[in-house]
Amino acid sequence: MEYLRYGECGIRIVFGDTIDPAINSRVINYYRHLKSKEITGIIDIVPSFNACLIIFDNTQIEFLRLLNTLRENEAEAVSPIESKPQIHEIPVRYGGEYGPDMGFVSSFTGLSEKEIVHIHASTVYTVYTIGFIPGFPYLGVLDKRLFVPRLTTPRTSVPAGSVGLAQLQTGIYTFESPGGWQIIGRTDMRLFDYNNPPYSLLQTGDRVRFIPV
Amino acid sequence: MIEIINPGLQSIVADNGRYGFADIGVPASSALDGFAYKAVNLLTGHLNSPPVIESIGPMFSLVFHSNMTFAITGAWVDGTIDDRPLTSWQSIKAKKGSILKIKRVLKGFRYYLGFSGIMDLEKIMGSYTTNMECHFGGYGGRPLKKGDTIRFTFIKEISEKSMDSDTIPNMDPPHILRVVDGPEEGFFREDCIGVFFRESYKVSPKSNRTGVTLAGPPVEFKEGVEKSIISEGVLPGTIQIPGDGMPVILLHERTVGGYARLGVIARVDQDLLAHLKPGDDVVFKRLSLGDAEQLWMQRQKKIKNLSKFD
Repeated sequence: MEYLRYGECGIRIVFGDTIDPAINSRVINYYRHLKSKEITGIIDIVPSFNACLIIFDNTQIEFLRLLNTLRENEAEAVSPIESKPQIHEIPVRYGGEYGPDMGFVSSFTGLSEKEIVHIHASTVYTVYTIGFIPGFPYLGVLDKRLFVPRLTTPRTSVPAGSVGLAQLQTGIYTFESPGGWQIIGRTDMRLFDYNNPPYSLLQTGDRVRFIPV
Repeated sequence: MIEIINPGLQSIVADNGRYGFADIGVPASSALDGFAYKAVNLLTGHLNSPPVIESIGPMFSLVFHSNMTFAITGAWVDGTIDDRPLTSWQSIKAKKGSILKIKRVLKGFRYYLGFSGIMDLEKIMGSYTTNMECHFGGYGGRPLKKGDTIRFTFIKEISEKSMDSDTIPNMDPPHILRVVDGPEEGFFREDCIGVFFRESYKVSPKSNRTGVTLAGPPVEFKEGVEKSIISEGVLPGTIQIPGDGMPVILLHERTVGGYARLGVIARVDQDLLAHLKPGDDVVFKRLSLGDAEQLWMQRQKKIKNLSKFD
């Protein structure tokens, strides 16, 4: 792992340079340790596929002091946390009006709609990171047979609950928003509730399985 | 209570931001001009972080249904209170029935309206600010409309005062933005980086509260370099370069991003991002991290002294 400065208020802790479940699990492990430490001056921690961004307030803690604190905590922060990942089952209506890109995905992959649903719903995915919009999970790894490019022109509006594919990832639009993923279905499950902690049903590191309904 | 007569081009409730939730994708959505936010609160007697109104454009108008003191900071405006001309960066007493009108914006882009009471709004995830994209926080998660009313708690009696003119930043274009190198600075052709810091860019009309898009000489990638990165956490003020080479400066509405990051606007210049309007010229100047930190610390010290001016 590498500590890299990013602007005045960021430290990137980079664990690798590929999308890889083993690298991501080290990121998540590190993030959980660090979050539990509640170090003064750290404003936000953003775990992602292969890195953890620490956003700090440099009027509260100087860069070098924070770097030292992080190094002191490193041995503990990289030791694996024993915990069973939480598995969420998400009901999805595939195709038809709920999956406007099912036709494209079918012609691009050469698979029938039934095969697409079967493959998509038979993987247990990991939440690699959450972002772009609140609660939006980047789930991987998608079965290679479902690899599709993003839309050439993103939609100006994708309904909340839409389940999409992009390259080797699948994800769920937690809010109505613009978006460029290929939409194959929709869930009625509410994934983000800003009134009730912990707000996001899914947390980085959780597992997700889609249930066709 | 206040009642909106005309929300102008767009008015939202904002504060100093929603923090601690970037790990679940929740951005800060803070008032874009942090100093103007702080100043409007000092002028209206607040040392904490109450909600204020962030507005753009002409025609904004409201009526006061209670006596209170208010102030406008950020962009300089041409406005009236009960048909008497008012001055930005100064607190002013309003009476029950007083009407505030903003005719036009003279300098800068976003202006901030603060009051000597605290707007009686609900905090969502620890903040009053509006997440416009996902419709939560602020005033029911949406921009203010004609007829909206906001009640207040704890309206304080305070005297009228004004902000020292030498603490008020210049908001006239061309905007000079100082930049420290970003994580992927090495992805770009050196000649293009040279041009980036030499030529000027224009603020594109595609800009919004999520990001400022610029038009000018494209910043091209070196041969054989990937044009995107594995998505990871991003800081406000980051200059991203999409495939078309046109820089986009991120504001406070994104937590992760997948574009290569050429640089980061020095914090001391980040408040200026609130005042970049379509058509404005922007010039970038390269700055070392050490100098950026020093300038920020000096600025903080100056601002800290202001809070003692009571």
